Amino acid sequence: MIAQDAMQQLEQALGKEKLVTAREDLLVLGYDSTPGLHATPDLVVYPTCTEDVVKVVEVARDFNIPLTPRGSATGLSGGSIPINGGIVICLNKMNRILEIDEENLTATCEAGVVTLDLFNAVAEKGLFYPPDPGSQKISTLAGNVMEDAGGLRGLKYGVTRDYVMALTCVLADGSMISTGGKSVKDVAGYAFKDLLVGSEGTLGIVTEITVKLIPPPQTKQTFLAYFDNIRTAGEAVSKIIAAKIIPSTMEIMDKATINCVEDYVGIGLPRQMAALLLIEVDGHPAVVAEEAEALKAILDEVKAAEVHQAKDAQDAMKLAEARRTALSALARVSPTTLLEDATVPRSKLADTFTLIEQLTEKYQLTVGTFGHAGDGNLHPTVLCDERNEDEMKRAHAFYDELYEQVLAWGGTVSGEHGIGIAKKGYLAKQIGSGGVEVMRRIKSAFDPQGIMNPGKIFANEGE
Amino acid sequence: MAAQQTCGNFTILDAPEYEDVLQCMRCGFCLPTCPTFVLTGRERSSPRGRVALARAVSEGKLDFNQAMKEEAFFCLDCRACTTACPSGVKAGEVMEVCRAQVHQQIPAPKWQGALRNLVLKKMVPNPGLMETSMVPARLYQKLGIQWLVRNSKILKLGPTWIDKAEGMLPELHRPLRPQLPDLSLAQGEKRGTVAFFLGCVMTLLYPEVSRQTVKVLNHQGFDVITPKEQKCCGAPHLTEGDRETTREIAAFNLDLFLDLDVDAIVTDCAGCGAALKEYEEILAERKDHERLSLFHQKIKDISEFLCERGIRTEGLKPVDKSVTYHEPCHLCHAQGISKQPRELIKAIPGVDFREMKEASWCCGSAATFSLKFTDESQKILDRKLENVRKTEAEILVTANPGCHLQLAWGLREANMPQPVLHITELLGLATPD
Repeated sequence: MIAQDAMQQLEQALGKEKLVTAREDLLVLGYDSTPGLHATPDLVVYPTCTEDVVKVVEVARDFNIPLTPRGSATGLSGGSIPINGGIVICLNKMNRILEIDEENLTATCEAGVVTLDLFNAVAEKGLFYPPDPGSQKISTLAGNVMEDAGGLRGLKYGVTRDYVMALTCVLADGSMISTGGKSVKDVAGYAFKDLLVGSEGTLGIVTEITVKLIPPPQTKQTFLAYFDNIRTAGEAVSKIIAAKIIPSTMEIMDKATINCVEDYVGIGLPRQMAALLLIEVDGHPAVVAEEAEALKAILDEVKAAEVHQAKDAQDAMKLAEARRTALSALARVSPTTLLEDATVPRSKLADTFTLIEQLTEKYQLTVGTFGHAGDGNLHPTVLCDERNEDEMKRAHAFYDELYEQVLAWGGTVSGEHGIGIAKKGYLAKQIGSGGVEVMRRIKSAFDPQGIMNPGKIFANEGE
Repeated sequence: MAAQQTCGNFTILDAPEYEDVLQCMRCGFCLPTCPTFVLTGRERSSPRGRVALARAVSEGKLDFNQAMKEEAFFCLDCRACTTACPSGVKAGEVMEVCRAQVHQQIPAPKWQGALRNLVLKKMVPNPGLMETSMVPARLYQKLGIQWLVRNSKILKLGPTWIDKAEGMLPELHRPLRPQLPDLSLAQGEKRGTVAFFLGCVMTLLYPEVSRQTVKVLNHQGFDVITPKEQKCCGAPHLTEGDRETTREIAAFNLDLFLDLDVDAIVTDCAGCGAALKEYEEILAERKDHERLSLFHQKIKDISEFLCERGIRTEGLKPVDKSVTYHEPCHLCHAQGISKQPRELIKAIPGVDFREMKEASWCCGSAATFSLKFTDESQKILDRKLENVRKTEAEILVTANPGCHLQLAWGLREANMPQPVLHITELLGLATPD
């Protein structure tokens, strides 16, 4: 419950129309795309400018109310779920693109700009913003920054972090900081910007973002390779990387995923194949032609069952779009879709596939695997029913065992979805209690009261 | 543990299936396709939010309250979310079912209930009564009263919806149903026989459109049987939450049409087509599942049917016009028919087809939505008109009477020159008499 005084102050500061308190509204503003997680906030605010955010933080500070930032709630680790109640601060009405600076190749936006809207706006000016998370049609830029979202183009172009140049952020005491700028180089003091990226809303609330833009590739070629055996697909990926070819996209789908995606898009994907790779090379036409040839040679060498080339840009886009729906399409099969984000060094890809197959067998589960093969970033997805307790137990045992080996190989428990609520337990296993302790100290330096998205990334002391 | 039926705070009759709401994994892919979410930015007015609310009611966490009623009717039922959902959730259908809950759980004032029963249970299922009820409206136009009313601006004094409803009324002609012969014969080489499902709005408000539909079918080589006893398809009842009457009507129409020896049952109304294709689910309690699925297979929208059979272009006259196409929600989203109308338009000699942006975005008509939510409907319509304007096309084609009414009214109000034609009217222009 929010104290009455606090409510009055918020009403005065923001006006009633920016506050939401009806039960039916609160009920739908306490979830994201992470299965099984839901909490109800006490209040939701819709700021329309940075000053509004400052006012909300000031009241939260004075009354010690937890604050959880939210964009479109497409997260996959529970980052925007208000597990301690309090205020959810919905940033998706702050959605103006403030500037596209063609001289400095930057764009500056408010927090709630939709990723694809930015992509389209800069594309109109002949520029390119590469990060393209699966949910780009609705995900917001600040959400991408806070989770350091990846995407299909990560392999060649990197992830959100690689494009953030400057951030405006409201801290827990109500003060504002601007960090970074349009300068390409900047080593003035601590790199707060880099600390804030991927901080999942635990250090402050981002209200404005300046990103780097690049010229788009002149041309690209898209290939679909089918495999009788998923291990072979893994080998193909390792060989392509070893041949010093860096495709812009190298995505994998296993048989279960292929079938679910085909059920949805119906574009004639081969239902009987064990796996497919979607590979795209882009850049200067001469380079693209050369890489395409080398790619085909490797796919021949590892004995891919079939290799097809996209007819045209539209055809290629259809394939990428189809891949983006993989997770949601898998959700057709069962009521609950448990998704993970294991990432391994790329040389370990084939071994990881073997391991997933073994564990699936061992725990008697239905698993669909897809992901950014070129990044070693896989999404083994257990298709289950949250009402079946035994199955849920087996699913968790599956992930525990998988992660143990992933960490032994030098991998990570989260490639791009963040730790949030869902993976707090795994984080300590990866970075050790010392690592978690340092993170806690950083957190308390930014937010001594602990009001900024509490309960995320690491357990509170004593929890 | 086996999956169990949960009803929670829904009544048992006509409640959303718990499995259907559980299927949503909250990815949010539906949000940018939902006109009411884009308009309001409000999660509860999005498909994801609405399904979450239905789930909360199912789980007993929320009463079926006023907000549920609002969302059930604020949803345009445009089904864009169904197209967008990779997980196969049908948020629009869930809301349609919730409308039936509204009438069970939130009692309306007596006079409203009586009026609703009169219209939905007595009038609409009876084509003769409907035709008689239109006589005053035709007289209203013929005697010049309409001219008087429009020029006196007297309607500006009443609620906005009356003014808009009056403004939307097209020029009325005698209803088509009694005029159409029971059998009209194919021309040229005969390719088959179809039954014609003539929608209420088509026969009453757009008789000349459906006349063209029959003409086109005949010219394309099909005998057309029009059973006169046919009743309304039940769509108005579904949208108003009267599933009981829908079931009665559906059973009647199904038996009537299945007794005919025809290759297909064709309709030129997207709303009817969508409802007819839902009979299988609406009548799922019936034991004769084979008959239900046979009926489903036979229902064809006119574009779907002509494309399946292949359009005969010989003998078509050129139509030298630029044309753009608005996709009715109940055609593209509810029935998945999107390519076929474009193929037909492009098959007409002389036509310069221009794709509009967001062709499959709702026009804001959505049954009675345009009258219940005039402001919101106007905003959705404005977005559509802007996209039409940018094509600079001379003709706007669509394939559903609801869209037709809304678009024709909108274009006129916005002083835009394009006439709205049903796709069979365009084909009719190319087809010799």
